[in-house]
Amino acid sequence: MMPARNLVRMVVANTLRSRRHFILSAFGIVIGIATFVVFLASTEQVGTVLEKIFPVEQVQVIAPRASLLGKDISKKLDDSIVEKIRSRPEVDRADPTAVVPRMTLAFPAFGRGDFEGNDLKFEVGGFADGINPDYVTDDDRTRQLFKDWDGMKDDPKRVACVPPPKDPNEEVIQSPPAHRKVERAGVYYNPCPQPDRYYCDEVDSQCHHRVPIVMSPTMIELYNGQFAKSHGLPIADTDFVKFVTQRGGLSAMRFSIGLGLTTIAGTNSNISQHKVRRVEAVLVGISTKAMPIGMTMPIQYIQRWNREFLGEDAATAYSSIIVRLKDRNQIAVFSQWLQDELDLRLEDSLGEKFATALFVIRLVLVLISLVIITISSINIAHNFFMQVTERRRELGLLRAVGAGQLDVLLVVLGEAALIGLIGGVLGLVLGVGLASGVDWGSAHYLPRFPYKPDSWFHFKWWIVLGGLACSTGFSVLGGYLPARRASTMEPAQALTQN
Amino acid sequence: MSEKPPAPIVRLRDITKSYGMGAAKTQVLRGVSFDVEPGEFVALVGQSGSGKSTLLNIIGGLDQPDAGEVEVLGTDTLRATDAERAGIRNHSIGFVFQAFNLLDHLTVLGNVILPAAFSRDAKDPQARGHEALRRVGLADFASRRPGELSGGQKQRVAIARALFNAPSLLLCDEPTGNLDSETGKEVIDFFRELNAKDGVTLLIVTHERRVSSVAKRVIAMRDGMLVETTDEELAAAHGGGPA
Repeated sequence: MMPARNLVRMVVANTLRSRRHFILSAFGIVIGIATFVVFLASTEQVGTVLEKIFPVEQVQVIAPRASLLGKDISKKLDDSIVEKIRSRPEVDRADPTAVVPRMTLAFPAFGRGDFEGNDLKFEVGGFADGINPDYVTDDDRTRQLFKDWDGMKDDPKRVACVPPPKDPNEEVIQSPPAHRKVERAGVYYNPCPQPDRYYCDEVDSQCHHRVPIVMSPTMIELYNGQFAKSHGLPIADTDFVKFVTQRGGLSAMRFSIGLGLTTIAGTNSNISQHKVRRVEAVLVGISTKAMPIGMTMPIQYIQRWNREFLGEDAATAYSSIIVRLKDRNQIAVFSQWLQDELDLRLEDSLGEKFATALFVIRLVLVLISLVIITISSINIAHNFFMQVTERRRELGLLRAVGAGQLDVLLVVLGEAALIGLIGGVLGLVLGVGLASGVDWGSAHYLPRFPYKPDSWFHFKWWIVLGGLACSTGFSVLGGYLPARRASTMEPAQALTQN
Repeated sequence: MSEKPPAPIVRLRDITKSYGMGAAKTQVLRGVSFDVEPGEFVALVGQSGSGKSTLLNIIGGLDQPDAGEVEVLGTDTLRATDAERAGIRNHSIGFVFQAFNLLDHLTVLGNVILPAAFSRDAKDPQARGHEALRRVGLADFASRRPGELSGGQKQRVAIARALFNAPSLLLCDEPTGNLDSETGKEVIDFFRELNAKDGVTLLIVTHERRVSSVAKRVIAMRDGMLVETTDEELAAAHGGGPA
C-alpha cells in the first residue's frame, strides 16, 4: 500500500483540480448535512426546553383517589411507602435524592407581597408544597438559604421582638419595612436583626427567618411572558441572583402568607378562625425541583402547618413521591410493581408524552435529511462513475507505475471522503448560518412567551461530529462502487482508452 | 568448474490469451514461449493484431494471460499477489508508451516522480527526478506542463519517468510511433546507449525497422504466435514501415 502521506497528497490534489466534479458531488451533501444538523439541533433545543418544563428523568408516584360514602379512603403515601420504593432495584439506593416525597399545603392560605410598588395578592393553598431541602441543590446560594430555619432552635438571631399590629380590615398585612434612619411616626418597622431575612413572628414574638421559597423556571417564564409585561414589571433574568440584586436584595422578594386565610368562599370552613396567623416568606431562588405552578418550601414547614391546622394524618401523608429511576427503560417494571404490590400508580407525565412526540418528530426530520443525504450519496456515485470513466487512462497509468488495486481503491475512496468532509463542513456552516438567521428573526420579530429560548438550536458536539461522520460516511458509500470499478479495471485496457 | 548462466529476466511459457466470448472470441496469443536474458535489447515485431502489445502487457503485469507461465525478474507473476506485481512494476520495470501517457495536471517533474508516490522507500524523489530529466536532456523543463512540450519532449519525459526507479527492465510499446523520424532516431539512440552503458534490458514492441535494426535480437509474431525472423518476414512484420 502507498504511504499515507502520499495518499493524502494525491487525494487532495485530485479533488481540488476538478471544481466541476467537486461542486456536482458536494452540492447535495452540503444541503443534506445542513438540514441534518439544523433539524437535530432544533429538536435537541426543543427537547431541552421541554425537559425544563417537564422533567422527564423522574416519575411521580401518586395514590389513586378513592372515596367511600364521602370519606377519602385513598392509599396513604407515608414513610413506609417511601422506604419500600427506596429498596427497589430500579432505584439507586446510594443517591439520597432518588426518592423524594412531596407534601402539599393541605389547607387554605393567602399570600400578599409588594413587588416594584405593586400590591400582589395570591392564593397559596393548593399552590404550595414542601420537599426535603437536601433535594434542592441548584446552586450554593439557594442551598444555603433553603433550610428549615424554624427547626434550628439555636439560631442566634431568634431574639424577642414586638410583632406588627393586626389590621382588622386586611386579610393579611404586607410584610413591614425594615428600620430606616428617618422613620415616620405611627409606622411599624421590622425590628429584627438582618431584616431582609428575618421578621417578627406574631405567635411567639420572636424573630424568625422567613420561610424560604423556591419557584420553578416555569413560574419565572410565566411571570416574564405574561405577568411582567401586563404589569410593566422588569423581566426576571435567567441569573436570579443578578435579578434579586437589581431589585434591592432579598428584601424585595419577601411576602406575607396568611395561614388559614383565603378569598375563595367556603374552602376553609373546617379551619378554626382562632388558628389563623401570619408568617413571612422570601423567594430565595429558582429550582427545577420546585412544583411547576406554585411555590415550594422545605417540607418541615408544611408538615408543621398541616399538623397545626389539620392534625397528624395530614402531617404524615405525602401528596406524591418523586422517583428517579436508574434507567428509564425500567419504568414499566417499576410501574407494574407499584400497581401490584402497593396499589399505587405513576402520574401521567405530560413530559413523557411530549418527549415521545418530540422523538417521533425528530425521527421524521432526521429521516428527511437522511433521504436527502442518501440521494446526494447516489449523486456522488453517479459523478464518480463518470469521473472514473473519464480518468480510465490516468488510473491505468497509476497501475503501470506501481499502484496496486488497493492504492487505486483508496485514492478514489479518499477523494469521496474528502468531498464528503468538505461538503460536511460547508453544510455545517450553512446550517449554523441558517440557524443564526432564524434566531435573529425570532429575537426581532417573535413576541416574548414563556420558555422562549434565546436560540432555537443547540449544536451539540455530537451533532457536529455526527454531521461530519454522516457526510463522510455517505460520500464514501457513494464512492465505493466507482472505486471498486476503478481498482479492478485492467490497466492494459485502461491505458488504451482514447 | 563452469559458471551457472544468469536466470532469464523474462521467461514465458505457452502463453495464451483471448478477448471476447462465444462467437466474438478472438484468440490473441497462441502458446507463446521465449526468454529474455539480462542486458538484452529485444525488438518484438509483427503486424497489427499479431499480439505484440498484449504480450508486452502480460510481461509488465498490466494484463493476465488465460494460461501459461510468466516469470519476470524471478517472480512468477501469475501466482504473485496484486501488491507484489505492483511492487515489481514500481521498482524494476519501466514502461514507455506510444501515447506518452503523461498527466496534464502535473508538472514535468511531477510526472517523472509519479512512481515515488507508490513506493515506501523512495529517497529524495525530487533530486532523482531532476537527475532523470537531466539524462533525457530536459533539465530545464521540470516546472513546465506536458501541454507546453513537443511530442519528442513528451516522450523523453515518459522515458525519464520510466527510468526514475532505475529499472532492470524497460518495456516500450511503439515508443517512436508518434514521433517524427528525427526525434524517433534520437529516442532510439538513447535506448541503445541505455542498453549499452547501463545494461538495462529492453523489450521494444515496434513496427519500425530502424528500431528493430538496432536491437540485438528480433522476435517476430504473427497471429499470436512466434515466427522465424527471415528478412522477408521481418519486412512483412514491419508492414513496410520506415527502414
